[in-house]
Amino acid sequence: ELERLSNLVGKPSENHPLHNSGLLSLDPVQDKTPLYSQLLQAYKWSNKLQYHTSLASGLLNQQSLKRSANQMGVSAKRRPKAQPTTLVLPPHYIDDVINRIDRMFPEMSIHLSRPNGTSAMLLVTLGKVLKVIVVMRSLFIDRTIVKGFHENVYTEDGKLDIWSKSNYQVFQKVTDHATTALLHYQLPQMPDVVVRSFMTWLRSYMKLFQAPCQRCGKFLQDGLPPTWRDFRTLEAFHDTCRQ
Amino acid sequence: MGVTCVSQMPVAEGKSVQQTVEILTRKLELLGAEKQGTFCVDCETYHTAASTMGSQGQAAKLMYVMHNSEYPLSCFALFENGPCLIADANFDILMVKLKGFFQNAKGNKIESRGTRYQYCDFLVKVGTVTMGPSARGISVEVEYCPCVVATDCWNLVMEFMQSFMGSHAPGIPSVFSNKHDSIYSPADTIVQYMELFNKIRKQQQVPVAGIR
Repeated sequence: ELERLSNLVGKPSENHPLHNSGLLSLDPVQDKTPLYSQLLQAYKWSNKLQYHTSLASGLLNQQSLKRSANQMGVSAKRRPKAQPTTLVLPPHYIDDVINRIDRMFPEMSIHLSRPNGTSAMLLVTLGKVLKVIVVMRSLFIDRTIVKGFHENVYTEDGKLDIWSKSNYQVFQKVTDHATTALLHYQLPQMPDVVVRSFMTWLRSYMKLFQAPCQRCGKFLQDGLPPTWRDFRTLEAFHDTCRQ
Repeated sequence: MGVTCVSQMPVAEGKSVQQTVEILTRKLELLGAEKQGTFCVDCETYHTAASTMGSQGQAAKLMYVMHNSEYPLSCFALFENGPCLIADANFDILMVKLKGFFQNAKGNKIESRGTRYQYCDFLVKVGTVTMGPSARGISVEVEYCPCVVATDCWNLVMEFMQSFMGSHAPGIPSVFSNKHDSIYSPADTIVQYMELFNKIRKQQQVPVAGIR
């Protein structure tokens, strides 16, 4: 008799369009456990996800095809040429470029050192206003930190401190702007021009505390002097006045 | 250590010293300055003793021995218009030993005490100047910490002082104009305090009614 009953129970489940999960909807305790509705939602969600991924993969495939095609064509020719000239430069050439810049600006003194291998580190002292630590990779500037003229730029063991920031808000702001300038002055074919234009821009901070803002005409805004220098005209602006 | 300007704020009409200080500090707090404890600058006066004076009958010189809570380990000794000596704090004990040459003018001790505020890179110290038991005036010290050349940032400091002192912002201190492009030192601050204290000493005592 048990066999007869079990046959009766087994048959309707096979006919159901959602197969075994469809039985969940027949469960009388559905009001208490929202299992069935959750199941339906999960099903819809995974359906949508599949649809979107197929669209996205279609789009990405188009793009990646183009880019890889570009790389194929260009990298083979340009890479071996461009990289050796800009990334691997002899140290005496770098010394030479830095020396020339040092002589160009009398109010700026540049001290070059190589504490860790071939990468040069510059300590730039601008008048009696500020000091800048410049970390170079070949002739590319990797990182700059601006500090006050009387702030300590060395760690306890006498090395240049390239990690800690200035104690003063003004110089923290100028550090941010200097980092922006690094990204702005880019010319991979002529790295010495980049360093020179960066230093020219940096030199405009000589009058950090003396120049009023070119837009609002005031010295202070939120307690800070005009910390921004325009990349082309080198005019002084407050951070919020420059737009 | 940055460039510092010390000035005197006149007591507002119909107000006591205390009330004027409160008005000033409230303005600073509205500006966004944060309170950072207290400060104190004191000054003791010494006469050159009669026995050490030359036969030419020169006038007795005054020497000032001052302390500044910003430099707690130092002691400043200076003549008017003369050199300023920066020594360790136990210089005071040495002065006791030099009694034969320099005599302490008792009751001439003058000091300024008050609250220290920080606003961005500025340090502002508003103090009550007291001589003996009576309050004689208000001192306002503004320090712009990132800069070391006084004439470079004077306009900037001036603009800041005007923002909370209004028309009472001072003119350029005389120590600034003598410095040209050289680096500002803590001794220049102490000289400004000495000049301020001397000015206040000479002033008429504030009417007693104005003091609480």
